Amino acid sequence: MLEIADVTVTYGAVRALERVSLTVPSGTVTAVIGANGAGKSTLMRTIAGLVKPASGSVALSGVGITSLRPEDIVRAGVVLVPEGRSTIPELTVEENLDLGGLWRDKAARKTSKAEALDLFPILADRRRSRADTLSGGERQQLAIARALMCAPTCLMLDEPSLGLAPLIVTQILELVRRLSVDANLAVLLVEQNAVTALRVATHGVVLNLGRVVMEGPAEHIAAHDELRHAYLGY
Amino acid sequence: MTAFFDYLLGGIGSGAVIALLAIALVLTWRSTRIVNFAQVGQAMATTFVAFAVREASGSWVLGLAVALVAGALLGLIVQALILRPVRRMDTSGAIIATFGVLIALQAAAAMIWGASPQPFGPPIANAGLEVFGHVWPISWYDILIIAVTAILVIGLGLLLTRTSVGLAMRASAFNPEVARLSGVRVGRMLGLGWAIAGVVGAVAGVLIAPSATLAPNSFDIFLVFAFTAAVLGGLDSLVGAVFFGVGTGVVLSLVTGYSDSSSAPVVVLVLLAVSLILKPEGLFGRGKARAV
Repeated sequence: MLEIADVTVTYGAVRALERVSLTVPSGTVTAVIGANGAGKSTLMRTIAGLVKPASGSVALSGVGITSLRPEDIVRAGVVLVPEGRSTIPELTVEENLDLGGLWRDKAARKTSKAEALDLFPILADRRRSRADTLSGGERQQLAIARALMCAPTCLMLDEPSLGLAPLIVTQILELVRRLSVDANLAVLLVEQNAVTALRVATHGVVLNLGRVVMEGPAEHIAAHDELRHAYLGY
Repeated sequence: MTAFFDYLLGGIGSGAVIALLAIALVLTWRSTRIVNFAQVGQAMATTFVAFAVREASGSWVLGLAVALVAGALLGLIVQALILRPVRRMDTSGAIIATFGVLIALQAAAAMIWGASPQPFGPPIANAGLEVFGHVWPISWYDILIIAVTAILVIGLGLLLTRTSVGLAMRASAFNPEVARLSGVRVGRMLGLGWAIAGVVGAVAGVLIAPSATLAPNSFDIFLVFAFTAAVLGGLDSLVGAVFFGVGTGVVLSLVTGYSDSSSAPVVVLVLLAVSLILKPEGLFGRGKARAV
């Protein structure tokens, strides 16, 4: 379970996040939705340790991780798949995959790799190709597979649907939902595409200008017309 | 025609040393996108260390071994000294800072060991080998240099492409953020890159010394040659650095043979300029040209 309590992040005079609190229980998908500039990516990057909050705290299963370095937060079990299909184009598919969880012992990595390749069979077929020869959807799968190699207890996905065909987005998100249940993962999903995100999510959180303006079961939020008009613009 | 082959062969030994220095430049470039002009100063300093150890113990091998350790440490120190403080500066700031380190190292060496050249002879025969009644311009020492270079290049290649540490180093160089988000301790990997570069530079220094004598600034010209080789190879490529390092050595030898040694550096610089105009990304480089 990931707990974010009263997190405030400032960039100079700008408050990107204002006392944001939310809880991501294990075995569920929590979708953070909101318009561009609502602070969604900042929230993810703060949890991942890439941005340090001015105040507030982040804890995983009761253990504080706020002051850890990004690489130690990963090792603690909180893994971010950043926006933009973050594979390394100069490396092969297999090298990109192997990069995840290099600190773990060999046997554990081997098991994780077999599981990841089982989950994303296309990666097994392409393992010797350079990552930049993959399609957008395949690269997103590779990025998620690499995150799984780190044996996360909390998985964060920043805009996984960006630039992908709707059918592929549905497949990937459905897989993430299944993963959250099967592996008891706490999944935090940031999306601009609210409809798709709320379809797979258990809980929804709406961010606007750095504040949580609403949270609750995903279907409530999806059915909330005024909220949609006010904050999501559709 | 015999002269041509003599000059060609004679350039390979010095070319191998240029290749080593070029590899050191490539390693720091790959890990931190900084061209480390202090590399030649570090090589000079560690060679003085080897000189001191050799004087005291009489053992060339022990001198080399201590120089390797000193090279790794000096690489780490320079990285911590330059990179950490100027991390928020742009890359050109850091590159200029490496010049500062070069000058500081030379001044320090002059204070400790004096500015006049010290004799640093080869550990084994450096006279041309006589085979089939012809004295070839290649010595046992040249063969040692070539062998050491080959072993280092193959070893580095295997380290970078076949091991977990190598994968972490390459990932940290290509995309530090993604590497960090995969749990790699990026800072350590960058430091390791500089330490290995320092070791390679130290080997180069000890191997060059017999042909250049040992003074605080006697390696400077090798920086020009190594930089040329590294840039021609695309700055990212170990293979390119070796190829053009040896190539530079051969060109130097040919020019020196057919005209005289003073025109050799000029020819190398002209080749660098022409190739940068024709193919700015380097002959082994991939992707976008560097905006300088």
